[in-house]
Amino acid sequence: MLVGACMVPTNIEAQDEPIKLKNLFGDLTARHIGPALMSGRINDMEAHPTNPRIIYAGTAGGGVWKSNDAGTTFNPIFEEYCQSIGAVEVDPNHPDNVIYVGTGETWTRNSVSIGDGLYRSNDGGTTWNKLGFEKSERIANIIVNPNNSNEVYVAVLGALWSDSEERGVYKTTDGGATWNRMLYVDQTTGCADLAMDPNNPNILYASMWEFRRTGWSFNSGGDKSALYKSTDGGATWNKIHNGFPEGKLGRLAIAVAPTDSNILYTVIEAEDDARKGLYRSDDAGASWKQLNNDFGITVRPFYFSRIVVDPKNADVVVKGGLTGSISRDGGKTFKGLGNMHSDIHDVIFDINDSDRLYVGTDGGVYRSWNGGTTMEIVENLPLSQFYHISVDDAEPYNVYGGLQDNGSWYGPSSSGGGITARDWNSIGPGDGFRVLKHPTKNIIYSEMQGAESVWRFDADNKLVKTIQPLPQKGHDELRFNWNAPMAVSTHQPDRFYMGSQYVHKSEDMGDTWTIISPDLTTNDKAKQNQEDSGGLSMDNSGAENHTTIFTIAESPIDQNVIWVGTDDGNVQVSTNGGKTWTNTTPNISGLPANTWCYHIEASVHGKGTAYAVFDGHTTGDMKAYAYKTTDYGKTWTNIITDDVEIFARNIQEDYENPNLLFLGTEFGLYITIDGGKSWAKFKNNMPSTAVHFIDLQKRTNDLVMGTHGRGVIIIDDISPLRQINQEAMSKKLHFFDSEIAEMNDNSESFGNGFGAETQFVGQNPSSQAQIKYLLPKRHTFGKMTMEIQDMNGNKLATLGPGKSKGINIVNWSYKIRQPKVAKGKTFSFGGFTSPRVQAGTYKAVIKKGKQTFEHTFEVAYDKDNKLSENDRALKHNTTMKMYDMTQELAYMVYELDALLEATPKAKVKTALNELKETLVITTGDNYVASAESQLREKMADLYAKIAGSYDKPSNNELQSLKIIEERFNKAKSDFAKLKKKAKVKDLQLKTFEDFINE
Amino acid sequence: MKTIKIILALFVASLTLQTNAQTADEIIETYYENTGGKDNWAKVTGMTMNAKVNQGGMEIPIEITQMKDGKQMTVVNFQGKEIKQGVFDGEVLWSINFLTQKAEKSDKEATDNFKIQSTDFPGPLFNYKEKGYKVELIGKEEFSGTECFKIKLTQKPIVVDGKEEENTSFYYFDTENFVPIAVQTEIKSGPGKGMVSEVTMSDYQEVEGLYFPFSMTQGVKGQPGSPISIDKIALNPKIDASEFKFPEESESGTDKN
Repeated sequence: MLVGACMVPTNIEAQDEPIKLKNLFGDLTARHIGPALMSGRINDMEAHPTNPRIIYAGTAGGGVWKSNDAGTTFNPIFEEYCQSIGAVEVDPNHPDNVIYVGTGETWTRNSVSIGDGLYRSNDGGTTWNKLGFEKSERIANIIVNPNNSNEVYVAVLGALWSDSEERGVYKTTDGGATWNRMLYVDQTTGCADLAMDPNNPNILYASMWEFRRTGWSFNSGGDKSALYKSTDGGATWNKIHNGFPEGKLGRLAIAVAPTDSNILYTVIEAEDDARKGLYRSDDAGASWKQLNNDFGITVRPFYFSRIVVDPKNADVVVKGGLTGSISRDGGKTFKGLGNMHSDIHDVIFDINDSDRLYVGTDGGVYRSWNGGTTMEIVENLPLSQFYHISVDDAEPYNVYGGLQDNGSWYGPSSSGGGITARDWNSIGPGDGFRVLKHPTKNIIYSEMQGAESVWRFDADNKLVKTIQPLPQKGHDELRFNWNAPMAVSTHQPDRFYMGSQYVHKSEDMGDTWTIISPDLTTNDKAKQNQEDSGGLSMDNSGAENHTTIFTIAESPIDQNVIWVGTDDGNVQVSTNGGKTWTNTTPNISGLPANTWCYHIEASVHGKGTAYAVFDGHTTGDMKAYAYKTTDYGKTWTNIITDDVEIFARNIQEDYENPNLLFLGTEFGLYITIDGGKSWAKFKNNMPSTAVHFIDLQKRTNDLVMGTHGRGVIIIDDISPLRQINQEAMSKKLHFFDSEIAEMNDNSESFGNGFGAETQFVGQNPSSQAQIKYLLPKRHTFGKMTMEIQDMNGNKLATLGPGKSKGINIVNWSYKIRQPKVAKGKTFSFGGFTSPRVQAGTYKAVIKKGKQTFEHTFEVAYDKDNKLSENDRALKHNTTMKMYDMTQELAYMVYELDALLEATPKAKVKTALNELKETLVITTGDNYVASAESQLREKMADLYAKIAGSYDKPSNNELQSLKIIEERFNKAKSDFAKLKKKAKVKDLQLKTFEDFINE
Repeated sequence: MKTIKIILALFVASLTLQTNAQTADEIIETYYENTGGKDNWAKVTGMTMNAKVNQGGMEIPIEITQMKDGKQMTVVNFQGKEIKQGVFDGEVLWSINFLTQKAEKSDKEATDNFKIQSTDFPGPLFNYKEKGYKVELIGKEEFSGTECFKIKLTQKPIVVDGKEEENTSFYYFDTENFVPIAVQTEIKSGPGKGMVSEVTMSDYQEVEGLYFPFSMTQGVKGQPGSPISIDKIALNPKIDASEFKFPEESESGTDKN
């Protein structure tokens, strides 16, 4: 009976097996466009202990990067895992192979990402295994015993927004198989820093930190913060506070001088400002003396608390900070590090030369060659941390967005030679958030934190104006979120919305504002104490402003339907342009109260249809919440399944297929094609980075993601996903519908010149015709070929078709094969040119085994190129005439060579050789020893000139062609005469066709 | 009826168990058995492949020869001129300079690294133990939607810019057919150092009883690769040793058309 019961569902499944989208993404691949010029936040740097060429950077939201060239360039080595990194540690006993990564950044600002445990690689970062600590959220340090690789200590800072018992110092003695918690204080206090005596691995120092963040507050410090020492490998711990300030303590850092185990440094966050700062011990922690409390040493301890001691000199100390500080007198006095991006989180010294420093900042990694005085940025770390992005409808479209501590920017989605630093334009300072393009005018809106400034930039005239809504009579003081919402309207291009606790509407691009709502938040006064935030060190940055509106969406179908989501959990809707509002949150079931509404997507598929995404991570709730309504919020349906592993911030609907949705989560992108009944994680060149915002470009169907750690990531043309269904899956091969392919005449680039070799270059989209098809199963055995044919079945090009299960994308350059060129001593560079086809209808023909599959598609000319039909025809006919001439000449030279070999007559031989010397180059090389051009070169160069131009052939070119034709005709008649004279019978020659196609 | 179902269920279960218990050795063994038999593979003395690469409309014919004794060369045909690249005679690694059309030796490090792999034919996994290589089954992993066994191959270390480095690659064997459909290798030298190169394989077809992939793509992981389609594979070619020899001070571009 049991067996029978098991068999039944199997049978049902066989009939209607649900589509597993996860296996079908195939060639659909993300491309990264950066930007890298401002890079992003670095959490931890690590040096290889014996090879100075190898440097690791653990980043806040962009994974782990490894440099093999002493920090000149970096490559990502942790793509498939959580991208928020707390600590990177190289096993000193196996430094080439064994690397530990503790996830979850530890400089606990409001916008930090989360970690998901400890990882180890045994092969230098190629493959990784997880070693547990799933609930640790943040790992501050990992230390491997330099005498015993099986002994490893892990400092778990733990959860930022909730209680957690997974905190403190952990130890393994069996290489990570089992772990023991060696030091634990309570569920509010984690290990913020851990150090080992370099000369005695049983001596450890641990700083424990009491800390907590909510959506509206931050607290650093308490009775439980303390500095501990163990002399028995972590078995017992004692506080070492002799000389410490009285009262509560905050975040403490600890460092042991590598050259002298007695010298320790700590930085103390204390109640009394005068007693904060750098302390030093010269007796291994038995007593402490305060040395310095400059601003650079005491500033924002939760954000900057790292101390690093020069490996060669115990008196050279570097402290992270707003600018970073260095002391050369044992910590008594400090000077700032050289000019670089502010907010210095970590520093490492080169292992051999302390003049060489690597610094991790909020704006990437910097190098110094002179002890930190001058700094240069690493240019290939695309770690930009977007809070938000948007796109316009230019060709190519631009991407706009704001970054953590790196202002607001816009840049093109495509650029000649790739998207480089110089393609990006600054559009606002400070922390950047939302950046929106005016729907019709060349005007860009941007903002900084808390809407302190909202800029309206007239890009044509380079005029800028601040337009943020100001307090109005009869209303409370305005409360703007750190990341304040703005919105434009598709109905009224000059309309501009902003949200405080009220909805502000302007009909004149922000010149005048009207408040069109009551306070739409809970207005909970307990959550409005920003000025008290920080704990022992006041931290009133505005980052904790709460009970604010966070998202505004006007329906693209009806301008009177406006949606608003608040950071304290309200979803409000107005169906009359803001006259009245309804809070629909009570209609949502399964959502914890006051969960932050991060995004509302007003649907194009129905007036009353919208999606709402909620993020509870600032209460410690890591689940994803997304709901759909079709009746203005009267009812909401959950569209999240267990497939989604972590909390989400954003959703994007497809404009054509209502069941196709894209979900931006803390660990990457998820896609559904069944309206949220199942979700598949998209991994093709898509790291598990936090996706903060998604937009879908309407013309190109490109999915554009603003990630918080890997910049802008684009999936070009998601339209195949619309067409995946049971019917398509049931075919052996299914061609996706394709749009008209336009042959772009834009010149790609003259090259970017020199001097940018170490810069990041963002990938461009394909400019070729793309043939897309679905294979329900990978093709592995037997021949599978693809040709492009004209409608008469003539072959134009042979392409290598994709064989992947799922979506395959094959590029065709619109070109036929290059002409066969006469053989000479050197190359005819013009002869490497392939001519483009004419606009029209073509066929892609795939032969798979015995079956043939055909797909017709349209090719069009560049619509920006206004050549007339006659001009087009002239260009094509001239190009093909020269293509044919080139091949004819090739055959003639082939025949001539054969004749030369066969003829016994010396005189004829000489004459043939003389003729040949006028046809092709017979001496010299391809560079500076090149010989004078002959007929082949002249012909091919003119052919290439005409074929490669966007324009019709000029009179000058046509005249030149005449000269070449005359010379060719003469050569042909001369050759015909010599052939007769040579009197070679039965010369074995390939036919012209065979010769051309060999 | 019920009994049949139970037997069937047990049979299916045992099959599953078997697949789970695959070792790297069994997978590699099965691959060579399924593609012609190990003995037959061992008999092959060399092969020549004729292929075409297509770069933006430009079709380039190439001919790749690999011999059991480690000799190899690639001949690229440009405008009827044959240009030899990556030629190895067992001692010297050399290529024709495209500009001068003269032969030039590779640097010593590249040559030494090449030499280390000169026993690889017909593939580094073949009798890998005798070559001093190691394999490890990493587990099952999907490659582009297809379930695969992922096998890590560690060859002898190479030297890059004066420093010894581990030489590893990852083979993805289709769990259905036991043939590799992709190989990933960390790029160890040059400006791409640290990136991962990826070769995918398909269109396995028989040549004299052995199966070879007739279609490949080559590129960097995460980016579209360039397709290579193979027209012809000839086994045991007779090639004069002089073809592999470095032409001392001679002009090259052997005109054989």
